[in-house]
Amino acid sequence: MSFIRRLVGNAPPRILWSLAILLALLLVAPALLGKYWLSVLILILYFAFVGQAWNILMGFAGQLSLGHALYAGLGGYIAAGLYFHYGIGPWAGVFAAVVVAGMAGAIVGYLGFRFSLAGVYFALLTIAFSEFTRVAFDHWEWAGGSGGLFLKVEAVTDIINLRGGPVLFYYVILGLAAGAFILCRALLQSRLGQYWLAIREDAEAAQAVGVPVLRCKMIAIVISAALTALAGVWNAFYYNNLFPETAFAMGRSIEITLAPIIGGLGTLFGPIVGAVVLTGLGEAFTDLGDVLRIPGIKQIFYGLALLVIVMYRPAGVWPWLADKLGLKERQP
Amino acid sequence: MTSHKTFTRRYLGQTALAGATLIGAPLPLRYAAAQTTGNLKVALLLPTSGIQAQIGQACRRGADVANDVFTDMKLPVKLEIVNYDTESKPDVARTQAEKAIDAGCQMLVGAFDSGQTIAIAQVAEQRGVPLVVNIAAAPQITEQGYKFVVRNFPTAPMLITGALSLHKEIFKVSGKTPKTAVMMGVNDTFGTSMVNGIKALFPKLDMPYEIVDTITYDPAAKDLSVEVGRAKATKAELLIPVNRLNDAKLMIQEMVKQRWEPMGVMNPGAPGLYEQDFFKTMGKYSDFLISNVPWLDPKSAMTQSLEKRHAAKFPNDQLDINAGFTFEGLLVAAQAWITAKSTKADALMDALRKTKIDLHVIIGGPIQFDAKGQNVNIKAAAVENLKRKPTVVMPAESAAAPLVFPMPGWNDKRRT
Repeated sequence: MSFIRRLVGNAPPRILWSLAILLALLLVAPALLGKYWLSVLILILYFAFVGQAWNILMGFAGQLSLGHALYAGLGGYIAAGLYFHYGIGPWAGVFAAVVVAGMAGAIVGYLGFRFSLAGVYFALLTIAFSEFTRVAFDHWEWAGGSGGLFLKVEAVTDIINLRGGPVLFYYVILGLAAGAFILCRALLQSRLGQYWLAIREDAEAAQAVGVPVLRCKMIAIVISAALTALAGVWNAFYYNNLFPETAFAMGRSIEITLAPIIGGLGTLFGPIVGAVVLTGLGEAFTDLGDVLRIPGIKQIFYGLALLVIVMYRPAGVWPWLADKLGLKERQP
Repeated sequence: MTSHKTFTRRYLGQTALAGATLIGAPLPLRYAAAQTTGNLKVALLLPTSGIQAQIGQACRRGADVANDVFTDMKLPVKLEIVNYDTESKPDVARTQAEKAIDAGCQMLVGAFDSGQTIAIAQVAEQRGVPLVVNIAAAPQITEQGYKFVVRNFPTAPMLITGALSLHKEIFKVSGKTPKTAVMMGVNDTFGTSMVNGIKALFPKLDMPYEIVDTITYDPAAKDLSVEVGRAKATKAELLIPVNRLNDAKLMIQEMVKQRWEPMGVMNPGAPGLYEQDFFKTMGKYSDFLISNVPWLDPKSAMTQSLEKRHAAKFPNDQLDINAGFTFEGLLVAAQAWITAKSTKADALMDALRKTKIDLHVIIGGPIQFDAKGQNVNIKAAAVENLKRKPTVVMPAESAAAPLVFPMPGWNDKRRT
């Protein structure tokens, strides 16, 4: 009970009720929505989840990573490869995926943090790791090389091996997104979370008052990488194919960062709100492009919309929205 | 004077409503567009934006003239084609397929890329809606046991086997056989697959030449002087390039600069050498290069109609295999509808399984699908660049001009 009480903290009752209603609606959504809207909702939850994972490193600990596709790709490939070659189901394979991605995160983090690479230099390091991993996977036969790794599609629902239709994957990603939300809340409420915020604001000052900066940053990147690997596993089994060119693509890393940036960096609801806004805008502009029959118009409008949001809500949509809805947490 | 806007909940609600209206506004239009009357409602899923936009748009041009060609050929069908952009991404391809089916599309055609096609195929299977694959070479697409998927495009091994077999035919007809070859390939997903596929199949095909070296390079390379110099140093008599467009230009430019004139340049199933932009940039140096790829049959009455309609509607664009295969995808859909006389998925799928289309546009036997849903009758053609135009020179029954091999030198008078 004390954990729940600590988790709830100073959150106003209306936010708790809103969350409960939202969760209830999400639980019954597959029964209420058509297949298309369900697939859109799946995308929202996916981006909310990976956004939450990235937010731990950037939003909480203040370390900019532009290579998170590395962890998603590694997670996906490890779990999919274990299933494809040895029949090891994803519920077991996910542990190997998380360990490998966590270790990759630790290597990137140690090189970056130990040698004081910060800001864009650390970002470049993350991009470099993602890129050379892509090249390595292009030539790794076990992972299918550049020709890709394809998982067999089964017509029956098999929860043990994560084979089935969109509803199964919806509930899995809903569980992951909800779990990540709770985890992030718990982390923020913990001493570690407070250390992260201190490091984000001023690493040198934090170090001066005794915060173990290197250790805290390492924990942040390992947790962030491990969570992102979970998303990669889900992604691999949902789409059933993996290509190095897309799994480790720079574009994928950027996609991961967008929801928290637009929603509100360092906030719990930011990645969720950002994912809703971005996916909603994306779908609307896709429709507009299809109606107008002008290829690529979606990307232009999408870019303009992001520009407007970043210009007028530089702190993200959620802090502004929370303020207007009176959902700001009380300060103790 | 400063203006202060007061944010009340009502104001916020109004803003949210306005935003939702803005976001949702195109949707009714979209659904209205999809609900208009027609014979068979077909969703065409292509990457018309994103990294594959250029090819996706070429594919779409083939679809844009499909109904006109059907009319020319007196086919009793008019397809209602609804376009969906996959943005060159599998996740978007999947949601677009869901959207198309929700909007009432009875058949899906697409999607150029294997990853996107597999994403769509899963939706097709789960929703029980037939998918006709226009272009996608990954063998796995027809190895998964899908019940609602057929493919009218060769798999990667079929492409390579067909291309290398044609090499032997070319040597036989010309009476000149190179003894050595060098392979140069771009090291992206496609290029690496092709190079590895050629290496794997080469020993089984009893080829008359030996591959003395394989040189790969980055797709973003801005200069291929070192690679071409290394290839020239092998003294190979044949160059087998696995190109994309830009590196194809760089490679030929460098060959001209370094005065390397092998017996021939023969592409084993890759794009690049036959593309419109390649001709524009390379001018006379684009001539006499050979691509061994599936191609449009210039002797087919349907191809002639497609060429005429395409040239009328898109005078600045060259008709290529992307448009050809996409047109054929729609032809397969149309024929299935004519046979099934129904828009029900099972009836359409039955009709697809029984498909036998003798008159079509791509070189090869009748369009027919085997038990896995694969058309195995597609043949590779030798397409030689002649007078800045990709021209079929083999097989003989489809040839529009005689083969020129060995390749004339870069300063030969035949290059004008």
